[in-house]
Amino acid sequence: MAKVIFEKATRIYPGTQTPAVSSLDLEIEDGEFMVLVGPSGSGKTTALRMLAGLEAVDEGRIFIGDRDVTDVQPKDRDIAMVFQNYALYPHMTVAENIGFHLKIKKRPKAEIRQRVLEAARLLDLEPYLDRKPARLSGGQRQRVAMGRAIVRQPQVFLMDEPLSNLDAKLRVATRTQIASLQRRLGVTTVYVTHDQVEAMTMGDRVAVLRDGILQQCDTPRVLFDRPINVFVAGFMGSPQMNLIETSVSDGGVQFAGRTIPLTPTQRAALTSEGVTLGVRPEGWDIVSPNEGVPAIVEIVEELGSDSYAYVTPEYDPNRTIIVRPNSAQATPHKGDHIGLVPRPSAIHLFDTATGVRLPD
Amino acid sequence: MILGRRESLTGRVLLIILMVVTLVPFVSLFVTALHESGTYPTGISWPARPHWGNFVEAFRAADMGRLLASSLLIELGVVPVSLAIGTMAGFAFGQVRMRGYQFAYFAFVLGLTLPYEAILYPLYYQMRSLGLLNTRWAIILPLIALFMPFSIFWMRAHFVNVPRDIVEAARIDGANMWQSFWRVQVPLAMPAISSLAILLFLWTWNQFLLAIVLVDDPLKRTMAGALGAFQGHYGTDIPLLCAGSLLILTPTLVVYLIFHRRFSTALLQGAVKG
Repeated sequence: MAKVIFEKATRIYPGTQTPAVSSLDLEIEDGEFMVLVGPSGSGKTTALRMLAGLEAVDEGRIFIGDRDVTDVQPKDRDIAMVFQNYALYPHMTVAENIGFHLKIKKRPKAEIRQRVLEAARLLDLEPYLDRKPARLSGGQRQRVAMGRAIVRQPQVFLMDEPLSNLDAKLRVATRTQIASLQRRLGVTTVYVTHDQVEAMTMGDRVAVLRDGILQQCDTPRVLFDRPINVFVAGFMGSPQMNLIETSVSDGGVQFAGRTIPLTPTQRAALTSEGVTLGVRPEGWDIVSPNEGVPAIVEIVEELGSDSYAYVTPEYDPNRTIIVRPNSAQATPHKGDHIGLVPRPSAIHLFDTATGVRLPD
Repeated sequence: MILGRRESLTGRVLLIILMVVTLVPFVSLFVTALHESGTYPTGISWPARPHWGNFVEAFRAADMGRLLASSLLIELGVVPVSLAIGTMAGFAFGQVRMRGYQFAYFAFVLGLTLPYEAILYPLYYQMRSLGLLNTRWAIILPLIALFMPFSIFWMRAHFVNVPRDIVEAARIDGANMWQSFWRVQVPLAMPAISSLAILLFLWTWNQFLLAIVLVDDPLKRTMAGALGAFQGHYGTDIPLLCAGSLLILTPTLVVYLIFHRRFSTALLQGAVKG
């Protein structure tokens, strides 16, 4: 178990100009569950592969514990990795798959059997130890891949979208299994996903990447409540935050005939007149049309526990605002005329020109 | 696939024609081999009294037992070595990709286009200067070299398609290159290796020209090569020659029948991955 440190780590793929990972600074605490999240091409997988030693580090350094592993081969880094497609050895049984590392390390047979059995028990794989991967279900294969990592008792677990090949139901179940397993074993874990729900639910902290650049790294709560820029605001949360570009005039931010006041520090931080107003679906109060921003309900998505209304404001028929009525409010119906008021505590303000959050 | 009546009929007729074209020489060979020794049978005609003894006669006359042993020795010299080198080189070209591998690989592929008849003369003198003429080494060593381009081509086609994840998983599991090759790659390559083994076996078995040119003693040649000597001694004895040919064919037929499923997948594999 160990700390992991990325120090200005950069990877530029041969033949390309822009770095896939650019000067990444990230400190992962001992025993922490760190999730790297971002859209495809954001460099999250490249960052993980750099830590694994599968990808060269062009600039900067990477540390595991106190050891500089920048130029160390994968086999000598004392890490275990779970691959997106599991990468099980098709010709070996489950037991052989899980015990491969120990066999390579020439551990005594009895010890290998013992440790494989322990890992299998932990993952409910005992009945399948003699099967080949081809005869396992997707979920079982995923667990074998986990077992292969667990049995090594490594310094760090690396997981590259390990749930993306499971169906939706299994994914939710496995999500909690992995998170609780990690907490029990206490092994530092770096987990890559493009799914912000996975990131929010599993990570102690979440690092959001875009175009190879780290945007923000913090607890899920902070990412959700205080996104550092428009990208993070739009990426975290589902359905995503409503981002409305407006402008500033004397009183403050102008939004559909209303004025949202700005503090002097916010005003000082602005680089231009443009302000992007961010309000999450649950941040709206539904009022009568003449009280709030008048709008028409286009579609209502009923999810049982929640419902989402897609509404079109009258001031801009091309825009859609997603609203989640809170439990105290009645769910509007398709075609209803309603008024919207953003709750002051739910308003996020960003500088439109730079995308950066204005100080609170 | 749904076929029209005419399509399926045409297909069947074509298949039957092809089958007849393939089978006729064998039938002719077989029928002729049953005629009385020393006669000149014409066309395909069933002899009045089939001389089954011709096979025994041919077997004895050509010292077939020792030829068989000789052929097996040559197979043992060629096939395992070719497989070992071909697999390792295929792995190197397909996955390790050391600096400048494209040039080396290009050179080997160039070797595929080389008609080996063209190097027969130099080969003869080379073998003579090495003092290997008239030994089985004169067949074994050139065959290993001549099969190498194909073996490498074949094995590389396999290794190129091994999922990268598995290779990386082995590296992270702590395997060095040799361990990853031996414990993960070779077991996964078994289908490709065994189909290559069958092809190499058949090509070695059927090797005629090299055997004739480089080895004088028929008993040190391959089975097919021995056929040449056969013709010299029994040039006039067509039925015995035919019986001998059939005997020589038998082992390849047996190999084919045992492995025919794998053999056709091997050919298809080449077709798709080539």
